[in-house]
Amino acid sequence: MSSDQVQIAGPEVSAGRTSRTQPRRRLAGGLRITLTQVLILAVVLGVWEALTRMTWFEQNTIFDPFFISRPSLIGARIWQWMQPGKNAIWPHLASTLYATGLGLFVGTLSGFTVGVLLAQSRFWAKVLNPFIVSLNSMPRIAFVPLITMLFGLGLASKVVTAWFMVFFLVFFNTYKGANSVEQELVNFCRTLGGRPSQILWRVRIPTAAAWTFASLPNAISFALIGVVLAEFVGSTTGVGYLMTTSLATLNATDMFASIVILSLVGVSLVYLISAIERRLLHWSSEFRND
Amino acid sequence: MSAMIELRHVSKSFESKSGEIVKAVGDVSLTVEKGEFVCIVGPSGCGKSTILNMIAGFMPPTSGEVYVDGARVDRDVPASLGYIFQKDTVLPWYTVRQNVGLGLKFVGAARQDTDKKIDRLLRLAHLSNFAEAYPHQLSGGMRRRVALCMSLAVDPKILLLDEPFGALDTHTKTHLHSELLEIWRELGQTVVMITHDLDEAVTLASRVIVLSTPPSHTLLEEMIDIPYPRDVFELRQSSQFTAHIQRVWKVLGNQFRAAA
Repeated sequence: MSSDQVQIAGPEVSAGRTSRTQPRRRLAGGLRITLTQVLILAVVLGVWEALTRMTWFEQNTIFDPFFISRPSLIGARIWQWMQPGKNAIWPHLASTLYATGLGLFVGTLSGFTVGVLLAQSRFWAKVLNPFIVSLNSMPRIAFVPLITMLFGLGLASKVVTAWFMVFFLVFFNTYKGANSVEQELVNFCRTLGGRPSQILWRVRIPTAAAWTFASLPNAISFALIGVVLAEFVGSTTGVGYLMTTSLATLNATDMFASIVILSLVGVSLVYLISAIERRLLHWSSEFRND
Repeated sequence: MSAMIELRHVSKSFESKSGEIVKAVGDVSLTVEKGEFVCIVGPSGCGKSTILNMIAGFMPPTSGEVYVDGARVDRDVPASLGYIFQKDTVLPWYTVRQNVGLGLKFVGAARQDTDKKIDRLLRLAHLSNFAEAYPHQLSGGMRRRVALCMSLAVDPKILLLDEPFGALDTHTKTHLHSELLEIWRELGQTVVMITHDLDEAVTLASRVIVLSTPPSHTLLEEMIDIPYPRDVFELRQSSQFTAHIQRVWKVLGNQFRAAA
């Protein structure tokens, strides 16, 4: 639905595409794909682990655990972080998650509202168009130091940065969705006695919402990027803060462990949103391959 | 008999993208009596849909006047008018029951009346078993019937149909013809239907109107004197049917040739 979203087939998509008349082969096919994926991952991690343990590679190439750590060390560090105590990751993770969630929420809500509102008025859409386009094309990262200066080292600047990242994405998608309602459908509802406000609530907003949902997986990544950026620039908590500290102490293991944790957070959030979307938009043709 | 729809010397011009004015509807006058079933046929581009849109108040005529039930139509949709589009107009996020009840929600009908009415319409359209289904679970023909029920739910006195069966296969189409006639005979609306399918027009209509190439005017009004109820499956083999087709085709075929 969103134009800027490249659909990479997840396991559920490839399962849907296989023929329904051959459930057994489909299962075998799905299993084979999963096994191959696990195998590729194992090979990459195995080579990484092995090469950083060979003296020659350690001394003559980049495969020096000081710089690139090694999977076993990273795993051990994550395990260590998960234990309660002074070094626990939980307060940092909570701080990053909280800011991401809040920024995502505020960004989605405001993007959706402005998108629906602007779709109602051709006049205002035309008036605001150059401002929106130029704001959107500015490198958003460039604003992060300014935002930190304005909103301080705490939660506020993280949320504002995430909002700034998410807003335009959601706005553009919602606006496009609200405008995608066909005139025939609106006219049809008029013959059923629908007033403009009723048509807005029952036709335009549901259509726009479907488009908004389509932008959410990207919005999550954007929100997370925004929060981590804000944590890089200036903060005292969060996974991004951990990473800048690891840079200061040249600790590759901490750095990789943080990256793994951030990736896990991102993937889980996207899966969560997809599950919600699947439930809410079950009527959409996109999810018809049950 | 009284006129439900009246077009008096109606014309409609559009500005094309290159800026020139194109006259689609030249000069059309037409009177549709209460309870009639009129089909309008004509070459593409002759403004058939435009005429329906003007009757429905979706667009004003460039010149001339449109009256529905005695009142002049300009930019507002006349009350008690139903319109079925060629495109799918069911809402995918509502069940069949919610879709059919949409118009009643719009006008704020009481819940109890709504349920009864929806049940009756779904029975009439043979959709009772699909009341809780979502549109994506239905076939194209069923979705057409849902759209029809949505319109009928607000008790229109007039039904405007814009090539409603255009995208369907012959089998489904013929079944829907039969159902449409049944519904029309039970509820007694005034129907104006656009089609490019001459067989369909003669099967359904009490009168067929042939329009010319644009700027269009009325070329022929053919009264179809085959009595109702009609058996749409038998009809096509009757000599009456063939005679009507031949008479209309003599005029329409020339237009198609001219338009090509």
